[in-house]
Amino acid sequence: MTSGQKPRAFRITPELAAEPSVITTPLAARPPQARIVDEPFEIVDAADGVAVPVAPRSRSPWGTLFLSAVGGLVSLGVGLSVERMIADLFQAAPWLGWVALALLGLAALALLAIVVRELAGLRRERKIERLRQSALDALATRDHTGAQAVVQALSTFYADRDTLSAGRARIDAAADAILDVDDRIGLAEHELLAGLDRQARNAIATTAKQVSAVTALSPRAIVDVAFVVFAAVRLLRRIAAIYGGRPGFLGFLRLGRAALAHLTVTGGMAVGESVMQQVLGLGIAARVSAKLGEGVLNGLMTARFGLAALNVCRPLPFVREAPPRLADVAGELLRSAEAEPKS
Amino acid sequence: MPLIDLAARAGSAVKAFAEASHDLLVQPTLRLGVTGLARSGKTVFTTALIHHLVETHALPAFAPAQEGRLRRAKLVPQPDDDVPRFPFEEHFATLTEARCWPRSTDRISQFRLEIAYERAAGWRTGPATLMLDVVDYPGEWLLDLALIETSYTAWSRATIGGTRRPGRAAVAAPWLAALKGFDPNGPLDEVAAERASDAFKTYLAGLRAGPEAVATTPPGRFLMPGDLAGSPALTFAPLDRLPEAIAPDSLAGLMERRFEAYKTKVVTPFFRDHFQRVDRQIVLVDVLSAVDAGPTALAELEEALDAVLLSLNIGRNTVLSRLFAPRADRVLFAATKADHLHQTSHDRLDALLRLLVSRAMRRTEAAGARVGTVALASVRATRETTVHDGSDTLRAVAGTPEAGEVVGDEVFDGNSEAAIFPGELPAHAEAVLEGAVEPGSLRFPRFRPPLVRPDGLGRPGHLPQIRLDRAMQFLIGDRLA
Repeated sequence: MTSGQKPRAFRITPELAAEPSVITTPLAARPPQARIVDEPFEIVDAADGVAVPVAPRSRSPWGTLFLSAVGGLVSLGVGLSVERMIADLFQAAPWLGWVALALLGLAALALLAIVVRELAGLRRERKIERLRQSALDALATRDHTGAQAVVQALSTFYADRDTLSAGRARIDAAADAILDVDDRIGLAEHELLAGLDRQARNAIATTAKQVSAVTALSPRAIVDVAFVVFAAVRLLRRIAAIYGGRPGFLGFLRLGRAALAHLTVTGGMAVGESVMQQVLGLGIAARVSAKLGEGVLNGLMTARFGLAALNVCRPLPFVREAPPRLADVAGELLRSAEAEPKS
Repeated sequence: MPLIDLAARAGSAVKAFAEASHDLLVQPTLRLGVTGLARSGKTVFTTALIHHLVETHALPAFAPAQEGRLRRAKLVPQPDDDVPRFPFEEHFATLTEARCWPRSTDRISQFRLEIAYERAAGWRTGPATLMLDVVDYPGEWLLDLALIETSYTAWSRATIGGTRRPGRAAVAAPWLAALKGFDPNGPLDEVAAERASDAFKTYLAGLRAGPEAVATTPPGRFLMPGDLAGSPALTFAPLDRLPEAIAPDSLAGLMERRFEAYKTKVVTPFFRDHFQRVDRQIVLVDVLSAVDAGPTALAELEEALDAVLLSLNIGRNTVLSRLFAPRADRVLFAATKADHLHQTSHDRLDALLRLLVSRAMRRTEAAGARVGTVALASVRATRETTVHDGSDTLRAVAGTPEAGEVVGDEVFDGNSEAAIFPGELPAHAEAVLEGAVEPGSLRFPRFRPPLVRPDGLGRPGHLPQIRLDRAMQFLIGDRLA
């Protein structure tokens, strides 16, 4: 016993119940809970191992300094030349000068809008990352208050999606129930994200199929490469949009980097999962036709990139839902590659 | 003996094979064992389980119900005709109408639920049914399974040796004194045997009522005779000063014969017919009472749980074992009566439970089964409150304590409501075993069941629960996917 507080009883008479001295605990006013920090167990085990950190990279300051200095010089040069040009135009004909000035104003306005949109996109992306991180933290420390906050934030994040309103209502209905951390987050995951997962999976499967078809049919290697890159970019944007991100250019670069980093981390593990199928399938397909084999390979790569993108864009780790595997999104490719020799 | 054993094993393997093939090919069936030592809340758990499945409530953590995939569940005739049916209707009426807790399980009972559900999206979709057989039996009977391997002489020695444990001297004194009056080499005398047995039963009952609170000394049927009360197989006792070779026509000879009869006629059939065939097992534990009673009671409880687990046939199923000797592949330990604590303390209760079963859990997990722990309240009798008492802010629970319950200097009449602050569980579970909880620093009064009114259409109300849904998900959720 640490606190030394004795057990005691308080009669609830009707008058007393009306007073605020004995109150039913409102959910929002709960003070921080007793935290037992220990290892997650049983059902929670499913949740770990899918942490998707966007690794903060440490760079030497010199590179940054160099880039900033060069950037400054370039903008000075551009500014100077624009200023010169407008001054020249005013000298040539004043009305030309005014037109140039108006164009400059429009350009500045558009730039501002773009910057605002980029920043908004970045903020939204950060929000998704923070949600995922706090969900992981809450799961690891079994922090009930944290889990409630995560679920609340996620529900608000998708407040503008009408298709999820039924799910939001069911989450609200369980807000007062005494639930464990993984149950609460798992419920939110099922109600809000399961449908989005399906959409994302379909998007990946479709893109993978397209890539493999185009590669198999395209006459030149450069066309393949261009299409693979184009498809990957489109897929990443699509998945981000499904999960509620609106990446601009900067956000897109960030996401792309995270997805590639994730790919390098999980690539090794993913190989173990279905390497037999891939090697066998590819081997047979490649023997039938080198072009077909390339198509399957490119499709698989796209699918794998798509899965990495999904992990990076998803606002929660996989708790209850089964994380999609390569066979789920590229199963058709693998099967077709194996079935090819028979037909 | 080995031949009979072999034949029995072959018989149960044939039975298991028939059941497994029926399960795989005709009708999926899941056998759930519900057990726990006396007063741990088995009957209430089972009643609440049926109630929630039959009424198909939305239970947030029980995926099939939350996803709306449970279509209908109803009680249907059970498969074993020689086992009493679980009287659900009677218990439910007691809970909701009389607002009393149902009387406790003192025998095995069974029921079968036919659950119609919709499969979750996957490669198999569409409607399906699952037969859920629930077997509810006293945990004391499990302690008997340890006897199967024991001889009468060894059992006598162990039981008499057990009286020397700390805290038992006072309870054991009358029995030890009576024991001196019986001569094992004396003539075969039915009356003497009965007297010896009665003295022994008094001792066992004393242990149960005494500070230990849980019975860890077999035979379990002496306290929970079921329908065997008074039969010769239950009229024996350990004897002191046993000779090396027991003469068949002496008192010890009679005792030994009855001990063997108890093993073959009572324990083995139970083991074979019910216990071996359980797929999932939940063990209910009343941790709070044991904490209340002190470290000795906790140690006894830990030992009892370990013995229970040893007797369970647990492990990951392989193809062969599934066909011929199925094992329980999931075991859940549940600390009941979590509604006596504010939810901020539930983690501590769970930690305590995990400490108690840690030895058992390690072994079970090594065998490949999944083991979980949960702090639950099958029927939640309280709501949560915050009490400001002077400068203290207490997280308390409010409910209607039963008549005659005493907390501090308040005596309750069973009708008035009260907010109870039960004291705080220690932050470190290990501290409890070291005696950090002073007697009287925790108080868990019994609450009456909650007031549940039928709704406007006359449908029965919804019994509130805490984490019963989580337990259901762990035990049967995967078979309803």
